[in-house]
Amino acid sequence: MIKMNNINKVYQTEMVQTHALRDFNLEVEQGEFIAVTGPSGSGKTTFLNIAGMLEPFSSGTYELDGIDVGKLNDNQRADLRNQKIGFIFQGFNLIPDLNLYENVEVPLRYRGIKSAERRKRIERCLELVGLGARAKHLPQQLSGGQQQRVAIARALAGEPRFLLADEPTGNLDSLMARQVMEILEEINREGATIVMVTHDPELARRAPRNIQVVDGQLADFSLYQGAPNKEQTAGDIAARAAEA
Amino acid sequence: MLWYYVDLSWRSFKRTPLVSALMVIAIAIGIGITMTTLSVYHMMSADPIPSKSEQLFALQLQTMDEGEGWFTKDDIPYQLTFKDAQRLMTDAKGDAQAAMVRTGFAVHLGDESNAPKLMDARATGRDFFSMFNAQFIHGGPWSQSDEDNAVNKVVLERSLSEELFGETNPVGKTVFLDKFLFEVVGVIEPVTEHTKYYDLNNGSFKRPERVFYPFSLVKELEIGTWGNSNGWKREMVTTFKQRLDSEIVWIQYWVQLDSPESKANYEQYLKGYIQEQQKIGRFARKEPKYSLRDVNQWMEYNEVVSEDNKILVLLSFMFLAVCLANILGLLLAKFMRRAPEVGVRRALGASKTQVFFQHLVEVGLLGLFGGLLGILLAQLCLWGVRESYSYYSALAKMDFLMLASAPIIAIVACILAGLLPAWQVCRTNPAYYLKTQ
Repeated sequence: MIKMNNINKVYQTEMVQTHALRDFNLEVEQGEFIAVTGPSGSGKTTFLNIAGMLEPFSSGTYELDGIDVGKLNDNQRADLRNQKIGFIFQGFNLIPDLNLYENVEVPLRYRGIKSAERRKRIERCLELVGLGARAKHLPQQLSGGQQQRVAIARALAGEPRFLLADEPTGNLDSLMARQVMEILEEINREGATIVMVTHDPELARRAPRNIQVVDGQLADFSLYQGAPNKEQTAGDIAARAAEA
Repeated sequence: MLWYYVDLSWRSFKRTPLVSALMVIAIAIGIGITMTTLSVYHMMSADPIPSKSEQLFALQLQTMDEGEGWFTKDDIPYQLTFKDAQRLMTDAKGDAQAAMVRTGFAVHLGDESNAPKLMDARATGRDFFSMFNAQFIHGGPWSQSDEDNAVNKVVLERSLSEELFGETNPVGKTVFLDKFLFEVVGVIEPVTEHTKYYDLNNGSFKRPERVFYPFSLVKELEIGTWGNSNGWKREMVTTFKQRLDSEIVWIQYWVQLDSPESKANYEQYLKGYIQEQQKIGRFARKEPKYSLRDVNQWMEYNEVVSEDNKILVLLSFMFLAVCLANILGLLLAKFMRRAPEVGVRRALGASKTQVFFQHLVEVGLLGLFGGLLGILLAQLCLWGVRESYSYYSALAKMDFLMLASAPIIAIVACILAGLLPAWQVCRTNPAYYLKTQ
């Protein structure tokens, strides 16, 4: 699904070069649910932006579903993003002027899906997140948890194969966070690949595969105990790191 | 996607009504001023008779002796002598021809029903009406026989006919021009709408005459000109006959030449005529010139549209540019404020091109609204011009072309002003705004 080889991302200013990612290598298989953890400023969000083709990388190769992303122009990347990727953001990022129906409709509009098909998908996705009855409401009329559910519905409406979530529960209380996580797990069970950046060890522990980004690189799990293991959790890694 | 962009634009206007209204008003003022000057310019420079403008030619003859100059660009007088005009009319070598001169009379019915009205009249040939597409409501032009025999026949413009005879058909009735009794043979609509191109001597935009009568009557009734007379030769002119025989130029002459062959033949005829006249001591110069200018060339030659008018149009466009510069600043601020939303749209699959066009549609709509409001403003300005200067009464109007142009100019101008803001917003880094939103 995703294959990143020696990805580097350097932010260049007049005075300073900042390496956000260094020789970053990662393979993600179809249907995986991965939690990405790491300290602030470690490069998690940069990784997510590159994975979502929102930012170019400085060097390396990135293949998404066998397509070499580095060779695509902006329009082709936008098209690929629209076809294959769904985003869920910490700040929800709903468009305030659009009601829930219209917010969920945005990616479908850019894909050129016909009106009847759009309606079917939007209604289904809003029902899935329990907000079918509130389609005409504006985002500001909803709680934070409800807004994030709308964002999930929006991400799902395009039926993406790859869902990128950047701290999707960061702005929610624990009850809401659990509800959102349950929805993500349900989506994953239905076949979607999910990469979720989180600071929450409890949420990370619920993901079948954990990776940690430190100083722009994947943490070398072998430091802690043997080879990387898909069953390891961020909590385990953190504990072992403390021991080491 | 166009309707989606239109919908988004409308929402954007509703979200920032004050800024949007300010921009629409700025465009409207710019367009209003621009369209006012452009409309007047357009009416001034418009082809007044597009169906025939390339077949009608104003004739000029360089009658002066060697060494004598004229105040025209090409050293040829604007007008002809009476004797040349009469001879050319008699020879009638064009497909149609009309000598003409502006005169004037006190027009009345010879009773107490109407007070005499002093007004312009035009002595001309009967071909004048067909040449200049005059539309007859009643009757027709006088006959060739009337013209040859200098019979008192007259064609009236509709408005004068109604003033004198009401709604009735006046053909066969009589009217006095000064002390002379004339029979009405026809009633016409005004010959021109705005530019009095057939005689540009006394104001290009004066309304056309309302009285027309045979040119042959000028000699018969000794009718003097109300137009311009110019001379170059020292000669004794104390009687009307001396004037007719003099080298004074005071007659306008138009000839219709329907084909290039006709024109070539006519030029050949003119050369022969000049050589013939040289034998009797006229056109005494090495290479006397003549000129045949079609309607549009004639208007350009006479500078119907002055430099001042052109400068005014230029200034109005510069004013529009100032309005657009202000709009550009407002658009830049408005669009950049929306960068976070654009970031979301880009993350959800919108390409830069789509974002760019979304914003161009928005500025295009602004232009449309500004253009429509600008038309209303231009109408108001044109009304003010018409009310202030009667000279512009026929010119200060917007025809269909100008009406249609106003929103197009507004939209194009706004899109030009919106290119930079739209480009700026579409090239923002979505990742930055997604994180900071």
